[in-house]
Amino acid sequence: MRIACLVRVASVALLPAFAGMAFGAQGSGNNDGLTLPDGFSAVVVQEGQGTGRHLTVAANGDIYLAGSNGLSALRDTNGDGKADVVTPFGDVKGTEVRIFKNWLYVSDDVGVYRYPLKKGELAPKGARETVVSEFPKERQHADKTFALDTKGTLYVNVGAPSNSCQQKDRQEGSLGQNPCPILEKYGGVWVFDGTKLNQTPANGRRFATGMRNAVAIEWNTAQNALFAVIHGRDSLDTLFPALYNAQDNATRQAEEFHQIVDGGNYGWPYTFFDTTLGKRVLAPEYGGDAKKEPEAGKYANPLVAFPAHWAPNDLLFYSGKNFPAKYQDGAFIAFHGSWNRAPEPQAGYKVVFQPMKDGKPNGAYEVFADGFAGEMKDNSPRNAQYRPVGLSVGPDGSLYVSDSQKGRVWRISHVKK
Amino acid sequence: MMPRGWCIRTILWGACLGGAAPANAAGPAPDSRPAGQRLYGEHCLSCHQADGGGVPNMQPAIAGGTWVKGDARPLAMFVMSGGFDSASRKDSSVGNVMPPFRQLADADLAEILTYIRQKFGDGASPVTAAEVAEARRSLPASP
Repeated sequence: MRIACLVRVASVALLPAFAGMAFGAQGSGNNDGLTLPDGFSAVVVQEGQGTGRHLTVAANGDIYLAGSNGLSALRDTNGDGKADVVTPFGDVKGTEVRIFKNWLYVSDDVGVYRYPLKKGELAPKGARETVVSEFPKERQHADKTFALDTKGTLYVNVGAPSNSCQQKDRQEGSLGQNPCPILEKYGGVWVFDGTKLNQTPANGRRFATGMRNAVAIEWNTAQNALFAVIHGRDSLDTLFPALYNAQDNATRQAEEFHQIVDGGNYGWPYTFFDTTLGKRVLAPEYGGDAKKEPEAGKYANPLVAFPAHWAPNDLLFYSGKNFPAKYQDGAFIAFHGSWNRAPEPQAGYKVVFQPMKDGKPNGAYEVFADGFAGEMKDNSPRNAQYRPVGLSVGPDGSLYVSDSQKGRVWRISHVKK
Repeated sequence: MMPRGWCIRTILWGACLGGAAPANAAGPAPDSRPAGQRLYGEHCLSCHQADGGGVPNMQPAIAGGTWVKGDARPLAMFVMSGGFDSASRKDSSVGNVMPPFRQLADADLAEILTYIRQKFGDGASPVTAAEVAEARRSLPASP
């Protein structure tokens, strides 16, 4: 198509014009069933094919989506927000996808790789290079999400293949291993030079520890600092029924939002932040009695304690030009939604906005986008219509959200100036 | 005001009770669910969910599988032994390993197994405490 060719040649130059057209011509009307703050509008970029994990939007508006079925490149050739071209590529099945300079960095459960991004190519045609490989293969908390700073330093989330480092994982009454040997290779962030190739975990360094699974990890360029929202522990009630009931398990252990500093320790598996008590407590595997606190000052308290089991799966600091001023430098968090709250109602399944100033929370968090899950029959995550999992900002400042159930992608824009 | 847990349980399980649960404004309503359903709720539901469908990538479904409606003895032995973690299972599509439930009494296990067979196993035959006891005798000694 002639228009498509023109857009491919001049997509960067034309994008602002198309973006303007798009804002005035949002077609879906009901925001695809999502609830958004006044003045915002959602359009479906991709109807959904297969699964989705994280996504990233290039400076020319091209979208790269990771998924457990593989990677795909999406392009909107006529500026209506919908992807007209969807091209699967590569051979990496995983969660993370990010752009650094002219490279597309991606990951699976055992490594981080990159593809060259070249002008004129939607799907990269160049060979895949290995940045880090040979992370031990695990089944639990295995996704190697990562962040890259402006120099190409690579921060990899190495989730712990365990719930609470019990002697017998997830077994009622089993006590914790102390010290937890898992922390030697997992349960933290490992740092690498992301511009070097063919590294193994031995080439990296443990940057921070005590993090069960920091799927939502992000470099904040304005603050020149790393942040993460960490998945808290499961199963307080079934593992220690004398101390906790089902409602305690559904509500007490926070999903913790932290600034991650070099040498930091965030308390897993020995502790968790109890949202009911508003303080950090010893985990029951490590002598906790639902009240006892760890040694003062040993572990940082979270910047924000989000509700239990909401499953923070992506974090983004907004610096785009489309959203109103209050969103600048604030954090968006995609909560994938719970499974471990049953029999209590499941929760999460939404995108939340946390106002921030100078890298600190600046007021209470608010729900930004909701309605992904639909009715969710039988209170089962399996029956969620959609589950938000990834976030990215386009060159026009729109927020892109990906879904893990069907691979749907939305573009959310502020349309009322 | 009724306790929150009471309301939620009424919503989730009310249909199975065959009528309204007794209202009790003074405290939690007595748990009148059948024993198998109650025990499934305590020990199994948070992972396998109320509908027995499991959680994708986390815990497998009970419903629709062959174990639940097969012979009672291997089913009872599996539940008492739990899943096993090994290198060969690293490619499994589900992340979590099932813990053993041999700490439960024969009668309670029989109630749970009967419940899941009736509800998720196409109405497969009930399991008796004697059958669970027999299966227990076949288990290797506890590690």
